[in-house]
Amino acid sequence: MVFLTLSCWIRNRGPDRYWKVQEVLKNARHFRGRKNRCYSLAVRAVRRAFVYATKARKAKRRSMRTLWISRIAAASREHGMKYPVLISNLVKSSVQVNRRVLSDLAVTEPRSFLSLAKLARARQQEGFCAALGNGKEPPGVFSRIVQLQ
Amino acid sequence: MTARGTPSRFLKNVLQNGVGRYVCQLKRMSLIFSKNGQSSLGARNFIEEGVVDFAKKNPGTVVYVSPQPCRIPKIVAEYLNGSVREEIITNKTKQEISELVTKLSDQSGLDIIRIRKPFHTNSPSIQGQWHPFVNRPPSTDPIGPQKSQNQ
Amino acid sequence: MSSFSRSAQQWATFARSWYLIDAKMQPPGKIAAMCSIRLQGKHKPIYHPLSDCGDHVVVMNTRQIAFSGNKWEQKVYSSHTGYPGGFKQVTATQLHLKDPKAIIKLAVYGKLPKNLTRRTMMQRLHLFPDDVLPEEILKNLTEELPQPREIPRKLSEYTQEERDAFPMLWTPPEDYRMK
Repeated sequence: MVFLTLSCWIRNRGPDRYWKVQEVLKNARHFRGRKNRCYSLAVRAVRRAFVYATKARKAKRRSMRTLWISRIAAASREHGMKYPVLISNLVKSSVQVNRRVLSDLAVTEPRSFLSLAKLARARQQEGFCAALGNGKEPPGVFSRIVQLQ
Repeated sequence: MTARGTPSRFLKNVLQNGVGRYVCQLKRMSLIFSKNGQSSLGARNFIEEGVVDFAKKNPGTVVYVSPQPCRIPKIVAEYLNGSVREEIITNKTKQEISELVTKLSDQSGLDIIRIRKPFHTNSPSIQGQWHPFVNRPPSTDPIGPQKSQNQ
Repeated sequence: MSSFSRSAQQWATFARSWYLIDAKMQPPGKIAAMCSIRLQGKHKPIYHPLSDCGDHVVVMNTRQIAFSGNKWEQKVYSSHTGYPGGFKQVTATQLHLKDPKAIIKLAVYGKLPKNLTRRTMMQRLHLFPDDVLPEEILKNLTEELPQPREIPRKLSEYTQEERDAFPMLWTPPEDYRMK
């Protein structure tokens, strides 16, 4: 069919069903098999995909956090420290850097991460000395015990 | 809307536009309207009052005003990267059209789709990225059973 | 900006290291734990489960691993051939005598994540029953990992002074007859 004018084409557009089907198929074009062209198969798959997408929006936060944690754990192991030790001592020295930034630092700025690890190590030694209670302090420590929890 | 089903891109700018100086990316704008149509009343008002100011304010943009017998007045904006956007201005007032024109001239012409990350940097690492030998003490000694043989 | 160019930076970041572990007198489970971390690449801050950033691990002296307790007699490795009556069960001793690499291999295989990358990771694990390694592997090695367990010394390896310096738990009576 050939329509030379826009008004004729619009008049010919037919029932709404075609556009309704296209709305659904638009979201299924990258699916595998007949799901990407047959409406009756696509509509189910699209519905399922939307459910997955809704759930994934929450799950993404969780999985990203576990990924950051495993990266920080790997980086802190390189400096001879376990992950909980690093994080708890950074919190105690009131370093307000979250896990996403920490893991980015470990990859892109390894020297900054090293200094953070050294800070956590110093805070740990200080904590040990405070627990012993003999009034001694580790040499060369610049931080003071901060009670912010 | 699923993540894979919708098109997406990363945050970027055309040739670091605006880092040193800013070049308006809107190259050509044509206003298509009808001389006596009811729906292009606002377009005619805008041409009477606002279009000259706009053209003076944006010397890098060519503004065409083309009266045609049409029902649907529109703005066709062409950008430096070759993309063309058509905006329909049926029954819009002068105020709305001038807002739309400012919006079009501020845009870069890149597709308006989902942006994956709200941040971008050209130099992700200042100190050098991590690699397996960053935190390892340098050594040239042989490793393994050959170590004891050499000594 | 770093001193590398971008492609060189990419090569440097994703370079594969070769680790050497000496399994002499070591518990196989601990060896397997070390191996599986390195094979998955979980020791790198660039870790991502999809990015295939695992390293190679070479384990030598697998013949001389040490199980604790009565595992040599009581630990059972089961398999099924698929045929009727094909259920095989062997103890750790029998398996180790048949193949000195099998115990470590099974332990690492069990510790890796159960997905399609497991076989790929296993191909990066190189096991050697003795401390004789081929030349091309020796050339690749970048680091030897410390052993997870300190090897206990035998009494014959202590010198006489060390034996004398050892604190006496009790004083034997005059008429005590040493065996």
